[in-house]
Amino acid sequence: MFVGGCDVGSTTGKAVIIHEASIVAHCITPSTTNPEKTARFAMAEALRMAGLNSIDDLRYIVGTGYGRLKVPFAHENVSEITCHARGAYWLNPAVRTVVDIGGQDCKVMALDKNGKVLEFVMNDRCAAGTGRFFEAMALVLGCGLEGISSPANQGANAATISSQCSVFAESEVVTLINEGVELPNIIAGINSAVANRLFSMIRRVGLTKELALTGGCSKNEGLARALEKKLDVKVTLLPQDPQIAGAVGAALIGFDKVNHH
Amino acid sequence: METTITSTAFAEFAATAEAIMNPAIEEWRNNGGKVVGYFCSHVPTEVLTAAGLLPFRMRGTGSTGTELSDAFYSSINCSFPRHTFNQALKGEYDFLDGLLCISSCDHIRRVYDNWKQNLNTPFVKIMSLPKKVGDPQVEWYREEINLLRGELEQHFGVQITDERLRAAIKLHNETRRLQRQLYDLRKGKHPAITGAETLAVMVAGSAMPAERYNALLRSLLDDLSRSNGTREYRARLMIVGSELDDPEYVEIIEEQGGLVVTDSICYGTRTMWVDVDEQAADPVEALARYYIQERPSCPRMNGDQPRRAQFLRNLIDTFQVDGVIGERMLFCDFWCTEHYMNRLDFKEVGIPFIQLDREYILSGKGQLRTRIQAFLETMGK
Amino acid sequence: MEKQEATQRALARYKQERDWFAFLLEAAEMMDTPEGKLQVKLLNILLDSKQKVVDCVENDKPFLAAYYCTAPELVNAMGLPWFMIMETPFLAASAPYIMDDLQGTEELGLGTDLCTAIRLPMYYIETGQMPVPSAVIGLLSPCDGTTMLQQVLQHNDAWKNVPLFSPDPPYTSDERAIKYFANELRQMVQFIEQHTGHTLDIDRLREVCEESNRTYALWQEYNELRRAVPCPHGWEIGGAQAFAVSQCFIAGDPRCTDWFRQLLECGELKVKAGRGANDYVAEKIRLLWFDIMPYGWIFEFMPWLEQEWGAILVMDMFGNFPYTPIDTTSAETMFHDLAKRNLMDVPMIRQARGTAEYFSSDIARLVKDYKIDAVIWPGHMGHKDGAATAGIMRDTCRGLGVPFLHIGLDLFDKRYTTVDEVKNKVAAFFTGMGLG
Repeated sequence: MFVGGCDVGSTTGKAVIIHEASIVAHCITPSTTNPEKTARFAMAEALRMAGLNSIDDLRYIVGTGYGRLKVPFAHENVSEITCHARGAYWLNPAVRTVVDIGGQDCKVMALDKNGKVLEFVMNDRCAAGTGRFFEAMALVLGCGLEGISSPANQGANAATISSQCSVFAESEVVTLINEGVELPNIIAGINSAVANRLFSMIRRVGLTKELALTGGCSKNEGLARALEKKLDVKVTLLPQDPQIAGAVGAALIGFDKVNHH
Repeated sequence: METTITSTAFAEFAATAEAIMNPAIEEWRNNGGKVVGYFCSHVPTEVLTAAGLLPFRMRGTGSTGTELSDAFYSSINCSFPRHTFNQALKGEYDFLDGLLCISSCDHIRRVYDNWKQNLNTPFVKIMSLPKKVGDPQVEWYREEINLLRGELEQHFGVQITDERLRAAIKLHNETRRLQRQLYDLRKGKHPAITGAETLAVMVAGSAMPAERYNALLRSLLDDLSRSNGTREYRARLMIVGSELDDPEYVEIIEEQGGLVVTDSICYGTRTMWVDVDEQAADPVEALARYYIQERPSCPRMNGDQPRRAQFLRNLIDTFQVDGVIGERMLFCDFWCTEHYMNRLDFKEVGIPFIQLDREYILSGKGQLRTRIQAFLETMGK
Repeated sequence: MEKQEATQRALARYKQERDWFAFLLEAAEMMDTPEGKLQVKLLNILLDSKQKVVDCVENDKPFLAAYYCTAPELVNAMGLPWFMIMETPFLAASAPYIMDDLQGTEELGLGTDLCTAIRLPMYYIETGQMPVPSAVIGLLSPCDGTTMLQQVLQHNDAWKNVPLFSPDPPYTSDERAIKYFANELRQMVQFIEQHTGHTLDIDRLREVCEESNRTYALWQEYNELRRAVPCPHGWEIGGAQAFAVSQCFIAGDPRCTDWFRQLLECGELKVKAGRGANDYVAEKIRLLWFDIMPYGWIFEFMPWLEQEWGAILVMDMFGNFPYTPIDTTSAETMFHDLAKRNLMDVPMIRQARGTAEYFSSDIARLVKDYKIDAVIWPGHMGHKDGAATAGIMRDTCRGLGVPFLHIGLDLFDKRYTTVDEVKNKVAAFFTGMGLG
C-alpha cells in the first residue's frame, strides 16, 4: 500500500512516497509561484521514481508546508511543525529537538520520547535565520550557497555581524568586504549570526539531545558547525536528506491514518 | 462574517462590529443625541450614560494604514492606537462630541496628547487611573469620577444626579447580565454560538445605545435558546488577552477546529462578569470600587495577578477549556509579561498554552493558521 | 546549605558588578585631572554602597530595594542601605558579562520588544541572580514595563514572600495629586518601619532634606556654568554622574554636597580659562541628548561624537530639571515636597509619567538656556510613550528652529541598532542640517 506526503514550501516542493513503512521515492523540486503547480510537479516526479502510474495509486496523501491548503490531491493537511517533528523522529528516534530552517521561516520543536511535539517556537515574520537570508548573502558575496555552506570556506576568525535585521546585515557585509575582511571570515560570520538567532529559539524551547536539523538550510555544514559550537552539542545526522523530513512526516501521518482504518 | 445564525439581531450586531459608524448611532444623533468616544474598559461609562450621552468604545476598524498617524507615533508603538488615531485623522471620528481617555497604557494614553493637538473634538479629557487596587486607590478613583461628573455637567449642560447614575448602573448591569447569559450558552458540549459570533455581539455592545442593544440581545438569546448547537470542533479554547475586536481573527482560529468557548479579553468577560453594586449608598463609590477592585482585572492593575490567575482557572473549569491562547499586540509590555507568567502557571498544571503576537489589523493569516493548527495537533486534538 | 548556596548565587552577579566598578575606579585613579578625581569619588561612593549591600546580605542585616524616584531622602533618613533592582542597566551596562545576560533574557521567552532595562532585572530575578532584600519598594512609574517588573517579582517563588510596597503615581500633577502621593509616601514609611524595625525620625529627615537642598542648590549653580560657550564639560562629567551622586544611594548625605562643591570648582576653573569640554577638539555642535546615556555602548559612541564632530553633550535629560527645595518646616511640608519632587522633578518620571507637556516645555527651556544646536531623542526601544511623543517633540523643535533627530536604538543592547548604524544616522543628520 502506497501512501504519499507532499511538503509545499516557498523555495522547494518535496514529495515522498512510502510503501509498507519504507520510503520508496522522494524528490525535491523548485517551487513555482503557484503552490498547486508545485505540488503536482513534485508528486508527479515522485510517482515516476516509484514506478507508479498515477496519483490514484496512492491510498492516502497528506499535504504540509506553506502551501498545504493548495495541494489539490491531499486528503488532509497537517502543520509543518507536526510533520517535521514526525519525520525527524522516524528517521532517528533519538531526536528530541528539531530545528527546521526553511526558505522563509525557521522553527524549533521539542519532542518527548514518543516523538510528540511538546512545544514549538517559530519565526515566520522576518528573513533572519532563513534561506532568504543565505540567498541574499550569497548574492552579495558572489559565492553561491555552496560557497557559504562548504566547510573549506569557514574562516577561523568569524567576523561579527550584529544586525538583527537581514537587510541591515547585508550592509554590514558590504562594509566588511570593503574593509578587506577575508571572505572565509565573513562566511563564518554569516553562519555564526544565523546560529545565534537559532540558539535563542532553541534555548526558549529547551535543548534536549539529540538535536537534528531539517529543511533546506540544514545542509549548510558551515551553519551546522557554528550551531554546534554555540550550543556545545553535536548535531545528529539523519539517514535521509533532511530537507524531506516534512514530507516524510506527512506521509507517515497518512500511513497511520490508513492503518487505523 | 460567516454564520449560521439567522436572527436579525445578530445581523445587526455583526454589521456594527464591522464598521465604526452604524445606523443606531446615526439615529441617535439625528435625534439630537451626543456621542463620547472612550478608550479602555476602566472608563466608567455609566457616568456618560447618566449624562445622557452615548458612550462609544474607540476602534480602528476599517483602517488600511497609518500614514497619517505615523507623524506622531513610531514603529515601536502598538498598532491599535496607531490605526485608531489614523482613522480619526482621516475624519472617521468627526462625529464625536467628546473623547474620554484614561491613563491605561503607554501607547493609548498618548492618543490624548496627540488628539488634542491635531483634532477639534470639543471635549477631550484624560482620567487618572490608579495602578494599584487598594482602598486608597478606590478613594482616588471615586474622586476622579466625581470630577468627571462635574466636568461633563459643565460642558454638556446636564445634571448627573445620583438618581440618574443609579439608573445608568442598572442599565449597564442589565447589559452585563444578558451578556453573561450569552456566555452560558457556550458552557455545554454543543455551544449555540461560536467565539467569533460572540465577539461580534460583544463589540456591538460598545457601539450603540444600551436600551437598543439590550432589546436586540434579548431577541438573540431567545433565538439561540432554540438552537441545537454549533458545528463540530476539535478542541475548546479560551483566548486571554487585550484589545481584540475583530471577529475574523477568531474565525481563523475556529476554522482550524478550535472552538473558542470563553475568554478574558477587553471585549469579553472582563467587562461583564461582575455587576456594579446597585445597593451601595454612594453610586460613585460603587463605580470606583467596581472598576478598581471588583471586576476581573487586566495586567494594567498591579498586584492583582493572583486574582487574575484564579479567574482564568475558574473559566477553564466552568467552560471545560482544553487549551489557552494568549493573545497580545506587538509592543505591549503588559501582556507579554502577563503571558510570560501565564505560561509558567499553565505549564505547572499541564494546561496547553500558546502565545500569539499580532498586529491590530489582521494580516499573516497563513501564519496564524499554521500556529493554531500546530497547537491543536500538539494538544493531540 | 541550600539557602547559603542560593544566597551566594544571588550575590554573584552583584559582586561581579561591584568588581567592575572597582576596575573602573582603578582606571579613573590614573586620570590626573580634576574631573578624574570626581570620577574617583563617584566610583568610591558606588562601591561603598554596593559593599554595604553585600555586607547586609552576608551578615543578615536589613536592607531595601528602592529607587531614585521613591524618595531616597526618606529611605536614607531611616538609615537603611538600599540598591536598585534596575541597577545593572542604569549603571553597569558596559560590563563584559552583559551580552551573555542579554542572551539569557531572550531565552526566558519575554518579548524582545520589552525594554532591555526591564528584561535584564527580570532575568536576574527569574534565575536567582539578584540579592533578596528585607523589603522591596516597588516602582510603578513612569512606564508599563516597570509596573510589570514588580508583578514578576511578586510572581517569583523566591520573592513572593518578600514584603513589597509600591507608591501609586497619579497621572495628574496638581495639588490633589501631590497630596495623594505624599500619603503614599507616608504609607511607604510605615511599611519600611514594619518590616525592618528602622523608624523615621523627623529631625533626622530634616537634616537629610536640608543637605539634599544644599546639594541641589550647588547643582543648579553648576548647571549655570554649562551655559557657557564653550561648555566646560561634555558627556564625561555632568548629568549622569550628578544624578548618580545626588539620587542614588546617598541622597541627602554630606558626601553629595562635597562632590558637587568640587564639581562646581572644576567647572568654574574651566569657564574662567575659557576651556571647552575637550582640550583637543573645538566645540562646534552643542547637543541636547534627551534621555539617559547609552550605557551599553557609551565608550564606542560618545568620544566619536566629540572627536569626529566637535559635538559636545551640553545637556541630557538627567542633567537638569527644576528642583524645588524641600520646605523642612514640618513633617507635613517635607512629605508634601518630597512627593512633588518624586512625581514632577526627578528625571524621566517627570517627562514620562503623565501627559506630554514636559517633553515640549523641557526641550524648549533647555534649548534656550543652553544654546542648543541640535536635539537628539535617542528613541530607546523601551520608551513606548516617548515613541508616541516623537511628533510632539519634532513640532516643538521646529517651532524653536532647532534640528531634531529621532534615532531608534537600544541604550543597552548594541545588537538592536549597531553603533555603526547610529553613527551613520547621526553623521547624515549633522551633514544634512549643515552642522559641524
